[in-house]
Amino acid sequence: MNAMPGELRRLAVKLVSHASRVLSGPGSRWADAMRNELDYIEDDSAALRWALGCVLASYRTRLAGRWGFTARTVWRHAAASCALVFFVGFAFLQIAVGQTEPPRPLFTETACDLPNVTPELRPRLRCGTVDVPRNYEHPDAGSFKLAVVIIKSEQQPSSPEPVVYISGGPGNPLTVYAAYQSKVPYAPHRDLILVDQRGTGRSEPSICPDLDRKLLYANFAIATSNSEAALSARRADYAACRDQAVSRGLDLADFGTRVTAQDFDWVRRALGLKRWNIYGESYGTTVAMTLMALYPGTVRSAVLDSIYPPDPVPLWSSIVSEARDAFFAHCAQDEACSTSFPNLAETYRETLTRLDRNPIVVTVPPRLRQPNDRMRITASLFEVGVTQLLYYANGYPILPRMIQALHDGNGDGAGKLVAVLFAAAAVENRGTNAAVECRDRPHLHAKVPEGARVVDRIQLYNVCNDWVELGPRPLVPIGTAIPTLVLGGQFDPVAGPTLSRHIAEMMGGRARFVEFPLIGHNVRHFSPCGARIVAAFIDHPEQEPDTSCTDRVAPIRFLPEPPDAPRDR
Amino acid sequence: MTRKANNSRQTRALLAAFLGGAGAWRHGYDLSKATGLKSGTLYPLLMRLSEQGLLESRWQEAERRGLPPRHVYRLTSSGLALAREQELGAVSAERAGAFA
Repeated sequence: MNAMPGELRRLAVKLVSHASRVLSGPGSRWADAMRNELDYIEDDSAALRWALGCVLASYRTRLAGRWGFTARTVWRHAAASCALVFFVGFAFLQIAVGQTEPPRPLFTETACDLPNVTPELRPRLRCGTVDVPRNYEHPDAGSFKLAVVIIKSEQQPSSPEPVVYISGGPGNPLTVYAAYQSKVPYAPHRDLILVDQRGTGRSEPSICPDLDRKLLYANFAIATSNSEAALSARRADYAACRDQAVSRGLDLADFGTRVTAQDFDWVRRALGLKRWNIYGESYGTTVAMTLMALYPGTVRSAVLDSIYPPDPVPLWSSIVSEARDAFFAHCAQDEACSTSFPNLAETYRETLTRLDRNPIVVTVPPRLRQPNDRMRITASLFEVGVTQLLYYANGYPILPRMIQALHDGNGDGAGKLVAVLFAAAAVENRGTNAAVECRDRPHLHAKVPEGARVVDRIQLYNVCNDWVELGPRPLVPIGTAIPTLVLGGQFDPVAGPTLSRHIAEMMGGRARFVEFPLIGHNVRHFSPCGARIVAAFIDHPEQEPDTSCTDRVAPIRFLPEPPDAPRDR
Repeated sequence: MTRKANNSRQTRALLAAFLGGAGAWRHGYDLSKATGLKSGTLYPLLMRLSEQGLLESRWQEAERRGLPPRHVYRLTSSGLALAREQELGAVSAERAGAFA
């Protein structure tokens, strides 16, 4: 054979991809094992011999009846064998004529079909799609179409290095919020790029579109009852989602932060950009950090807002507890708060005890689809609700009042609040959330830890082992040369300041951590001071940011108890 | 499922390679080189031993950036017992041959 070494390698990759398809389904783990091994064989001829053996192994395994073998599959194998003969012949033909180029990253412009777009905004929008490989090691194994929106800066000509916003979740849609995102520019002179990550928003694929709502309710049931039965029911619901995804031809190994980071770089290339500024928020910081580690030369600056670091992470309830204690301590020091709600921490603990004994039944809006529009506020739901409110700084004024009301047995307004928090949780694509988290996070493949509270049990502890094997881990760009700004909110129940500071220190001298008082998750969104610091940093990332506005934060305007509130203290 | 006998030459070679590895996790190409088994023989064997609970596997993070994780293997306690049993049998057979 007179093939060139690169051609031998490409043929080897094709053969192993074929073996993977033969072993798809229950054998996909082994297919991945054989396929990945190929990358460690430096000699191209040896790689080709290895690949041929893998094809043989795949057929031997299937024909030996492993993982089920029916009369139907006889025909399938026979057809596949014929296909293999054709495939090898075709592959050699491709070598002969030199047509084995991998797919190229391309942006295809489409019409902008987005909600709430004003006539002023419309000319500033460019919408389109980018096809990304499902699996970058095997670019011929199909593609997913990602939705991309570019919001051109109001100030034209804009700077050549735009900002890409990387949203959280994992599983949150983004491009649908383009109109909102256009309102507060990240950096006034730069275009903003929005991408729906694979499996989210308007990007392909849909993991289990029919079951997403069911998964939300399954998690809600755990929040309400914190029972083993609810955990088991959720496990079954997620298993159904996984089965639906597999039956629709998805390989659940094609998800995770590493591949999402590869998608972002693919989109960058499709847009013809040499470098860009990246802005990651919440889970988006996990992607951003991995992108910084994998493609450092392509990132001009990075902002990491409310870091969600890769494993190992502390038990979530411990971070929540730290944030809650900080909030209660602030209330104790605030004159208005401490006057209306003396010893809020104790009131919180007493409320947990009282609701544990006697849940309060409240009326909820019909959209929550609860029997007779009624539901129980249990101790566990209360704990989850307080945690959720700590995310959002605009919820802080009502938080002490809500705790006090439920402590006093008054559920007025609690139903509406639950509905608001439920709606916030409903935007996330749950199937994609599991697909990413289960690939990324070893702790979710372990048992529920000792001392776990309800907020821990809501995590996918008893789901991930059934879902998919762990994939390559997300990365922290230790010692990065990229100018990096890390933002952390004082009361953030996910990425508290202690954790954010720690990750900033891990990244090294180019990373600067700024803590924002009286803010929770998503600093820039809730803090005008944060938005100003971000804009100045992206403009001049080499300069030390002026963070003095963090010392002049407006106080929280705590709502007092209603005058007619029942007293039971 | 009928349990296949694990006394073929290839299986014995593979078990011996694991014993030689002092309990370390081994990856496929490494085992192929150690045993001389081609991937077409090696992987069906690994799958079978794994199904029989004689082998455990996990994914190991790549040591170098840009490379995928590797699937690595080691014997379970049952696998170790079988490997030691076969090693003992092989040694006994050698000795028997020596004294025959």
